[in-house]
Amino acid sequence: MLTRTVFGVIVMMFVLVQAANAGGNDGIQKYFNDTASKVKATADPAEKRAILDKSLQTMSKALDKVQSSPLISKEDRAGIDQFKAALQENQDELRGSNGYQRVPDAQLNAFSDYVVQNMEQADRSITISLVAALLIVIIIILLV
Amino acid sequence: MQSSHNLTFTSATQPYSMLLAGFGGVVLVLFLVSCSSIPLMQRGTPPGEESALPPRYSMAFIIHGDGDYLYHDPQGNARRADQEAFLEATTVAERNPQAQVFIFHEIRRKHALLIFPRRDGKFYYYRHGQLLAQESYWRDQGQSRFDPEVTLYHRFRAGEQPQPLRLFFYFGHEIPEFGGAGYDASYSQRTFTVLDLADGLKRIAPDSSRFDLIVLSTCFNGTPYTIAALAPYARTIVASPDNLHLSYFDLQPFERLDVGLRDGDMAGFAKIFARQTFDRLTEDIQTAVTVAVYDVDSVQGYLHAVDSVYYHTLNTLKGQTPGSIKHCDCADDPVYVLPGMSEGVEVFYRPSRFGRLKQKQNHSGWECWMLLN
Repeated sequence: MLTRTVFGVIVMMFVLVQAANAGGNDGIQKYFNDTASKVKATADPAEKRAILDKSLQTMSKALDKVQSSPLISKEDRAGIDQFKAALQENQDELRGSNGYQRVPDAQLNAFSDYVVQNMEQADRSITISLVAALLIVIIIILLV
Repeated sequence: MQSSHNLTFTSATQPYSMLLAGFGGVVLVLFLVSCSSIPLMQRGTPPGEESALPPRYSMAFIIHGDGDYLYHDPQGNARRADQEAFLEATTVAERNPQAQVFIFHEIRRKHALLIFPRRDGKFYYYRHGQLLAQESYWRDQGQSRFDPEVTLYHRFRAGEQPQPLRLFFYFGHEIPEFGGAGYDASYSQRTFTVLDLADGLKRIAPDSSRFDLIVLSTCFNGTPYTIAALAPYARTIVASPDNLHLSYFDLQPFERLDVGLRDGDMAGFAKIFARQTFDRLTEDIQTAVTVAVYDVDSVQGYLHAVDSVYYHTLNTLKGQTPGSIKHCDCADDPVYVLPGMSEGVEVFYRPSRFGRLKQKQNHSGWECWMLLN
């Protein structure tokens, strides 16, 4: 029984470490990439806009929830603030608020790529720990 | 009854005993593999035993892969920037019959069965289009950088008479100008800055001679400080002053240097390369694309003029949190706008297609720092 338990724990630790390494930031980027794929898959501009808007809102909600978690450090909170600010800029541009011109219907596919690329690049300037990134991904899964 | 019980017990545990024995065997093999310093593979003609002419071109690639390098192409396919860069570098190596090529791929440290560390660097040496050596190696575990790479470079490099045209490429995230902790995901406490790279280049360069071309395929390294730090080791530098998408610079122009660089005009070739890589990036990338070519001798005047003010800014930034500082075009800060700012710099720039800076029509080719608030 003990042998079986030890072996099980080793296998579980191995799986968890692999999942944690692959799940954090990669999961966030995959989320935005999936959004871009959905946007490109529909021809209706109103639907494209709704997909993008909902995606950005869901991520913002997830960030709010993670930020209020006691597991999150002060540094992570600052990183999440930056992340939220970047998302808000995207949302403002999509809607045409806060001094932005509304993204034209014909450019929504390109805008969805911009969101993906901007987040991939922001990944280096916005520092979020692996724990925070994992929590964000888990909450996103629960919210979607 | 007792005997029967024991027999039953033995039969039930036998598969686990065998499993543990097998596990132990695997552990032993992994331990031996992870600790061995013998090259994993060495094939082809050993260096030095070759009768071909000395290489006309010498290229060294450092590809940093110990971090988050995931990106998605416009078709939505997930890609790893370091792996893509590695494939491109090997293509360049295979298609240059007159070159020697060193490729160092710095990878994330992994453990076999969570215990035994595995090598975190891979080295490939090509000459005349042939892979002559391939080794896994340990990167620096302490503070110093590029010790193993410098050692491997000098161990394999062919006799350089007449001296070949020498090119150096670095692929990775922005090379920090200060701080630098956390650049390697596997070594969160270790620091890496531009000065570490400059030190590595100094030790690679024989007789203090300069590289004919240095390419920094990174974000935000087209700054007065970075260019000045690498200037003693380069004649021409290509870098991005702004964000550079992880799809990186396109290496295709470096295939068949014997054709593309027939006249030996590296400065002219660097501009053609920058133009081509800019055109390729602007096809797919929606964020800003900025590629700059620095003629190192011609930019010295500007570098000297802004040296003290930039250094002062860096010292001010050292205590700041990441959220309170940001990059900006030096042209947006009046103290950097000096005569000669554009001398020796050729810039290929297209603003971001969305975002606050989509109206920004040009870039000076020099990136600086801005303190927010």
